[in-house]
Amino acid sequence: MSHSQYRTMPIIEFEHARYSYDGKRNALDGVTLSIEPGSFVCVLGGNGSGKSTLAKHVNALLAPDEGRVSVMGRDTSLPENVFFVRGNAGMVFQNPDDQIVASVIENDVAFGPENLGVPTEELRARVRAALAQVGLQGFEKKQTETLSGGQKQRVAVAGVLAMEPQVLVLDEASAMLDPRGRVGLLRVCRELNDAGLTIVLITHFMEEAALADRVIVLERGTVVLDGTPDDVLLQADRLTELALDIPFATRLSMKLRDLGVPVNMHASSKQLEQELLTLFAESSDPDSRFVAEESPVGAHSVRPSATESARTDTAPTAADAHTPLIAFENVSFTYEPITQERRRKSSVAPAGKQADWGRSPSEYWALKDLSFSVRQGEFFGIAGHTGSGKSTLIQLANGLLKPTEGTVRIDGRSLADKGAATEARRDVGVVFQYPEHQLFAATVFDDVAFGPRNLGCRSEEVEARVREAMEMVHLDVDELRDRNPFELSGGQQRRVAFAGVLAMRPHTLVLDEPVAGLDPRAKRRFLNLLVELHRDQGLTVAVVSHNMDDLAQLCDRILVLNEGRLFALGTPDDIFADEQKLKSVGLGVPMASHLAIRLAAEGIPLPLGAVPTDEELAQAIAAKLASPGTTGKAPVAPNEGGLLS
Amino acid sequence: MKSGALFGRYWEADSIIHRLDPRAKIAGTFIFIVTIFCAWNFPALGMLAVCTIAFFALARIPFLQALRSIAPLSFIIVLTALFNLLYIQGGETYVDWGLIRISEEGVRQALFIAVRLTLLLLSGSLLTLTTTTLDITEALERLLAPLARIGVPAHEFSLVLGIALRFLPQFAEEFRTIRAAQLARGAKLATSPVKGGLSGLTSLLVPLFASAFRHADTLSSAMARASTRCISSAAMLWPSSCSPRSSHSR
Repeated sequence: MSHSQYRTMPIIEFEHARYSYDGKRNALDGVTLSIEPGSFVCVLGGNGSGKSTLAKHVNALLAPDEGRVSVMGRDTSLPENVFFVRGNAGMVFQNPDDQIVASVIENDVAFGPENLGVPTEELRARVRAALAQVGLQGFEKKQTETLSGGQKQRVAVAGVLAMEPQVLVLDEASAMLDPRGRVGLLRVCRELNDAGLTIVLITHFMEEAALADRVIVLERGTVVLDGTPDDVLLQADRLTELALDIPFATRLSMKLRDLGVPVNMHASSKQLEQELLTLFAESSDPDSRFVAEESPVGAHSVRPSATESARTDTAPTAADAHTPLIAFENVSFTYEPITQERRRKSSVAPAGKQADWGRSPSEYWALKDLSFSVRQGEFFGIAGHTGSGKSTLIQLANGLLKPTEGTVRIDGRSLADKGAATEARRDVGVVFQYPEHQLFAATVFDDVAFGPRNLGCRSEEVEARVREAMEMVHLDVDELRDRNPFELSGGQQRRVAFAGVLAMRPHTLVLDEPVAGLDPRAKRRFLNLLVELHRDQGLTVAVVSHNMDDLAQLCDRILVLNEGRLFALGTPDDIFADEQKLKSVGLGVPMASHLAIRLAAEGIPLPLGAVPTDEELAQAIAAKLASPGTTGKAPVAPNEGGLLS
Repeated sequence: MKSGALFGRYWEADSIIHRLDPRAKIAGTFIFIVTIFCAWNFPALGMLAVCTIAFFALARIPFLQALRSIAPLSFIIVLTALFNLLYIQGGETYVDWGLIRISEEGVRQALFIAVRLTLLLLSGSLLTLTTTTLDITEALERLLAPLARIGVPAHEFSLVLGIALRFLPQFAEEFRTIRAAQLARGAKLATSPVKGGLSGLTSLLVPLFASAFRHADTLSSAMARASTRCISSAAMLWPSSCSPRSSHSR
């Protein structure tokens, strides 16, 4: 490396840094670490671990109470260094909507350098260059409001790049994005890092951590793990202790080794795939073939996706007997019925440019000709990229919106009927995205009681319902009832808001991205809660999610929306059989399915359904490696299956 | 999610008003607003109302959309009118229920205030509907530039305004979500915005304020990242453009 002289000098340095917001608890509790220029560092940790506090120190938004933080050799606590540090260590935050300053993209990108006093000519060049770097060339004049979340985050990155920084800090910048937005943002980070920029990425997503050069795990304000992704992400026990997720590749390589497959432990799915391919290549040579140790299930007894078929066999047959609980019949919806008139009258023809980015602002229909039904007792999934019409669908499902065309029925009654619509409001509980943002009452009790009181329940009834709802979400009524909801942790706030919906005693729950923004521990708890409510309370559940692994695991059937239209509807096995098709609408398949599909593409088909569990996948791989003649077998294609309109 | 015209949102169209120099529009709006404040009786207000309707026609904005654009702010009008209705007394008494007494003068005042506020909001809305926020802030900065010499922070002022305008549609959006969420919990907001009582109103306003603070918190960090400080206007993206930019009205 020609930059060897820089190698010795870290670009970011923390020495015993301590920081407390309230003087009681240290958010940073003696952090010592140094980051080399040009590295790609990922910082992991649950909520309250001090990740964001660490990030704010790098940007000189905070200065340590004790110890020292320096960026490019300059102490961040000295006022004369603050502008230097902020100019060189740019930061991107979680919520895309909070960081955009201007209404037009070029003005937003220019905001930082403008403040640095960069002259006009250079300013324009920088704006153009920065937008090109994040893959948004030609977007200068577009309105920021019309961008998707992922694009807004890239605009925020461009705004930082235009200041020509040495370090880019992303504080959970991908947490609110859909899969497509997240992939785009990560690709941009990777490219920038290849071009020499130092990246500090704070995230909850283990798969993002596997892409970094170095992973740091924080817990209660101290560094508890620090090393290469393999060093850190392979410590499954330690990660569990820290309430973090174990990456898919780690889980699978552990299972494979348990089955006697001689693979190395991998944190990156790509690397595991590579090694498996090498293993398969070697095993076609008969001498080097290994014998699977005590594989509990032989190659031929691995039924295609045993659990999957068991579940889908029972659920729909039981459900088919009932009337569909929620039925959409050729439903179309538009938010601007008046605009259509204006367009017709207007002499100016509507712009014919169908945008290939985000959701076109000229798109008239939010939903178009949508027909499907949710059955009694079903766990129903709804997938689709941002702007595909999911939120609209949710509000139609309980009569908050009226379809422009078509009919929505609940329990067989059309919501056009006013009585039915009122009942639907009560019977179909809707949990919006970030429901904690709708908390308003002075006490937890009053907030949960809002719904029952609106229903006109008497005070004993209200009391009973609040108690019941809070028990359902595992919150201690007596401890929390008089607390201010705004003082609770994020996960608790969300459960309070959720209890507020459950207190209406709905028979169906519709949830929009219920675990978005939660840390891994809170996320697992919340998903378990949903499973319990579905299983034990018999609630019908419809859930909107970006996470294909969650959908595959939880749902009986999945509806895929694209641009307001039905794209696919079927069991997880049907839906996830065609990866290419899903990719075309910005979605993917669960990680185990992805690996199976990749292996099949390399001529190693596995006898599995489209949605194997980790266990099934590991056993199929082990069996395949142990069986003679691994190649040349007729593919049991995961690519088949009746699917897709 | 989106709807049609909204206060603070740009309404794309090609009209004389859209193409007008933003500085002229700001100055014109200012004068018009002052005139509305000065109007002392119904005939005068009526004339101004006719003018307002004419302006919207010139701007090729359907009048229904114009009213819709100020709908989210209509509670201001309703509240103010209500206060006038209840507190101003005089002339013939129509209703007398002890505490609540409505009289001729009260009705007259309430009506007058309602019309005046509606016209004020409409004229403000016309400006934002026909001018991009960028044009407004830049024009304002230029209009205030002479004052910068005597120490008025013109740049900061227009920056603040620009941010306020940029967040208006977002708050409207969030307001809609919050409203939908509370309606889903049985809140009786739709049928009567006033009778819904205090809890109905707080269930909307508290989350909205909480959200405003959240946004402000991150935004200020994000702006600190860009190390905002007083600068000269030498560093501007488009320093020489003082005519309305056709690229935006296209």
